[in-house]
Amino acid sequence: MEYLASGKIAVVDLATREIIEEELDDDLVLEKIGGAGITKSLYDRFADQDPIVLGTGLLTGSLVPGSSLGVITAKSPLTGRVSHVPLSLDAGMELKYSGFDYIVIKGISEKPVYLWIHDGIADISDSDDLWGQDVWTATDRIRDLMGDDLIQVIGIGEAGEKGSDLAQISINYWQSGDRMGFGNLFGKKRLKLIALRGMGLLEIAEPEEFIEKCGELLSAVKSGGAAKIRGIAAMAAALGAEDIGEWLQPLTHKHMACFNTSVPTNTFVFLDEDPSLLKETTVNEPGVLLTDISPLLIFKRLGLTAADACHVLKACAKYGIDAAAVAELSETTGLTDPEAIKGALPDLKGPVSSSGDAVFSPWAAVGNQEKEGWMRRQAVAYIFGIHPLFALMAPELTEEKLLDISSLGTELELTQETLDEVIADITG
Amino acid sequence: MGLKIDALTCTACMACELACGYHRDDAFALLSSCIVPYRAREKKNYIGVILKEEDSLIAARPEGTEISRIGQEQDPDKEADASAKPMLLRESCDLCEDLDDGPLCIRFCPVNAISME
Repeated sequence: MEYLASGKIAVVDLATREIIEEELDDDLVLEKIGGAGITKSLYDRFADQDPIVLGTGLLTGSLVPGSSLGVITAKSPLTGRVSHVPLSLDAGMELKYSGFDYIVIKGISEKPVYLWIHDGIADISDSDDLWGQDVWTATDRIRDLMGDDLIQVIGIGEAGEKGSDLAQISINYWQSGDRMGFGNLFGKKRLKLIALRGMGLLEIAEPEEFIEKCGELLSAVKSGGAAKIRGIAAMAAALGAEDIGEWLQPLTHKHMACFNTSVPTNTFVFLDEDPSLLKETTVNEPGVLLTDISPLLIFKRLGLTAADACHVLKACAKYGIDAAAVAELSETTGLTDPEAIKGALPDLKGPVSSSGDAVFSPWAAVGNQEKEGWMRRQAVAYIFGIHPLFALMAPELTEEKLLDISSLGTELELTQETLDEVIADITG
Repeated sequence: MGLKIDALTCTACMACELACGYHRDDAFALLSSCIVPYRAREKKNYIGVILKEEDSLIAARPEGTEISRIGQEQDPDKEADASAKPMLLRESCDLCEDLDDGPLCIRFCPVNAISME
């Protein structure tokens, strides 16, 4: 694969510590396009070894609006189904530029390890100093060890190490869209984290035409309904959920976007600092980045103040447990005291309805989305590498336009018929 | 004439950095861009944008814009660089002078945080 890709797949065997590199073949892209289409194909190939497969969409890391998404595909310990969870923030982009388009992780390590993926090199190292640490400490330590604060970290906290079926993979310090218990899979494999750094270069088959199309798409998005959405509360309201803007506003510091995503879908709240502060705070951990709408909606419904809810979310982020599941179980058990909720984290167990009944994480299933349309839009997002929430809010990114721009970028003839087949394959 | 950056409007999406990288390399890359969102203090949510001009390094921060003359001694307490390749080693902004439509970073900023002044 010459364009919009590094052209390499890493197959990592944690049991033997062997890493094999394979070429990403054009034929595989012609058949499966990319993203979840290819991670599912790789999962099926190694299915007997219970793999975790990471990958990026065909357009991830490009100037196509919303091109932030990577994907992790594995069998969910919560649903028993092969499922796809989003790699948002800057993690998908960093994977795309790391020198590998796809990473298959199989086998179980004898002792705790981490993967260091950078500049086309994949390494397995012992993680004795990281195992047992919470998500935030582990992220700080690996960045300190490598001397680079821009490393993107996909890891687990104590929840994953201790085998909680609600364990979530985290992205850096923050909650991810993993509602499928993939943190539990990392823990079983004794994989503490994957550190990513990408300084590669992606060639474009028809660069001028591709950039022109990217500009046209962005102009269309900026003229559309998503253009005025700022932050997680506005996103919730736009999707038809309860408006939590007034509740959250007193804590709001800044709205943050995932890589090249036109709508900032995340909101940083300050809990131990004045949210209106403009200069750099001297407080080391002043707050938390809110990345998931659902737990906010539930905690507000339970009567928690926004500050109490966000303190709970910060604790969930550090412990590495899915906050949506925590919120659901708090509602089920009638637990409304924030300290009691935090204290209960180590004992929480599924099943939970927050893992949904689809193969895509219900992280982006908010509000009043019609199910069949939602599924198809998620499939398109996960195949091309478009942010799943943004994809719902930006109908301007039609399937036809995404196929057209993909063909321009890769010189491969990608058809609607192929896209329909891939969608049927990954949603079936 | 130069770029004006509103750090309070910026959402740190990196579209400007990627657009500038494309301008340099005719490909997607992040190492040669002269405009870089500052993301290194993630836990503190301290976000800004650094721009290398011919004679100056512009740091657009939430509290205001700071301009350092290249060649002058830098305050050792201030981290001026957010990226793997030091800003001073990169080419300076040429305002995409070969493009009729003006700088790509302005064109691709989704929230209009960059403008000409």
